[in-house]
Amino acid sequence: MEDKNLHMRVYAVVPAYKEEGRIGAVVRTLLSHVDRVIVVDDYSGDGTAKEAAAAGAEVLIHALNRGQGAALRTGTEAALADGAEIVVHFDADGQHDPDAIPQLVGPIERGEADIVCGSRFLGVAAVGMPRSRQTLLWTAQKFSTAVVGMPRNFTDPQSGLRAMRAEAAREIDFLQDRMAHCSEILRLIARSEWRAIEVPVKVRYTKETLAKGQKATDAVGIVWHLFLGSLQR
Amino acid sequence: MVIQYVLLTFFAIALGLTLRRARQGAMSRVAAFLWSALWIGAAFVVLRPSLATSFAGFLGVGRGVDAVLYVAIIALFYLVFRIFLRLDKIERDITLLVRRQSLEKRGSTVEKE
Repeated sequence: MEDKNLHMRVYAVVPAYKEEGRIGAVVRTLLSHVDRVIVVDDYSGDGTAKEAAAAGAEVLIHALNRGQGAALRTGTEAALADGAEIVVHFDADGQHDPDAIPQLVGPIERGEADIVCGSRFLGVAAVGMPRSRQTLLWTAQKFSTAVVGMPRNFTDPQSGLRAMRAEAAREIDFLQDRMAHCSEILRLIARSEWRAIEVPVKVRYTKETLAKGQKATDAVGIVWHLFLGSLQR
Repeated sequence: MVIQYVLLTFFAIALGLTLRRARQGAMSRVAAFLWSALWIGAAFVVLRPSLATSFAGFLGVGRGVDAVLYVAIIALFYLVFRIFLRLDKIERDITLLVRRQSLEKRGSTVEKE
């Protein structure tokens, strides 16, 4: 707990689906950077929940698999109900670097920003990101600014790493259950009055994270869900 | 022709079902009216195929059957899209239920501690 000169109550929310064997290490490293870790087990049916709890996280369990966005939202609501002052969204598969958390939380604590998103394209090279993934994300970035309404100065449309001041987290009312929540959150940020910035983060791509991560064909589904979502309510 | 009897029977059954559902209140008045109009209109076209031909002439399409097919495809597309939207809404509702259950369970365990 070295860098606990944090004076705001920081919660990390980790949506997890079948992360047995990885989630424990993620929770342990996270706990050295934040006050509490909430893992939302999205009906994995394996040892994910047990492993996360043993590592010191509070575990919420979805009774049905509802997707990453849905799990993230459940965890966020739990954190806010607990009185979290800063909510950090963090991926369970170990591709995010917990050492990036001070960079995410710092600007909020210093009052410089309300929302801080991690970007894979701000100078720090991702380790092992394949060219195909780079091209996909470049296209997604152009699409997201033009059609979805991502803030124009943002570089990473599908980053799952972000920190939000509680008031902002409460107001960012994202409803996309699956992968489209990233784009949806960015659009909500762009339309809000909150001060949002990006900071560079390093992401580690391994065989496992790539296998579980998104494929180019998922982009079609994301666009489709955003379209359907725009017609709801 | 046999096909006329087959289709007329089908439309009669469909109309009967529509009216029954409407009486049970399972269908809005507007929906019941639109569906009834569709079944009755279709029955008219089956009885007087020349109606479809004149409709096709009005649209500028060659044959009556073609015009009926085009209209049917557009209607099907629209209905499928409506179903997609409805499914998306149901998915969202399921998520809300799952979330509420998960958070309530948490609330009860926290109180016990």
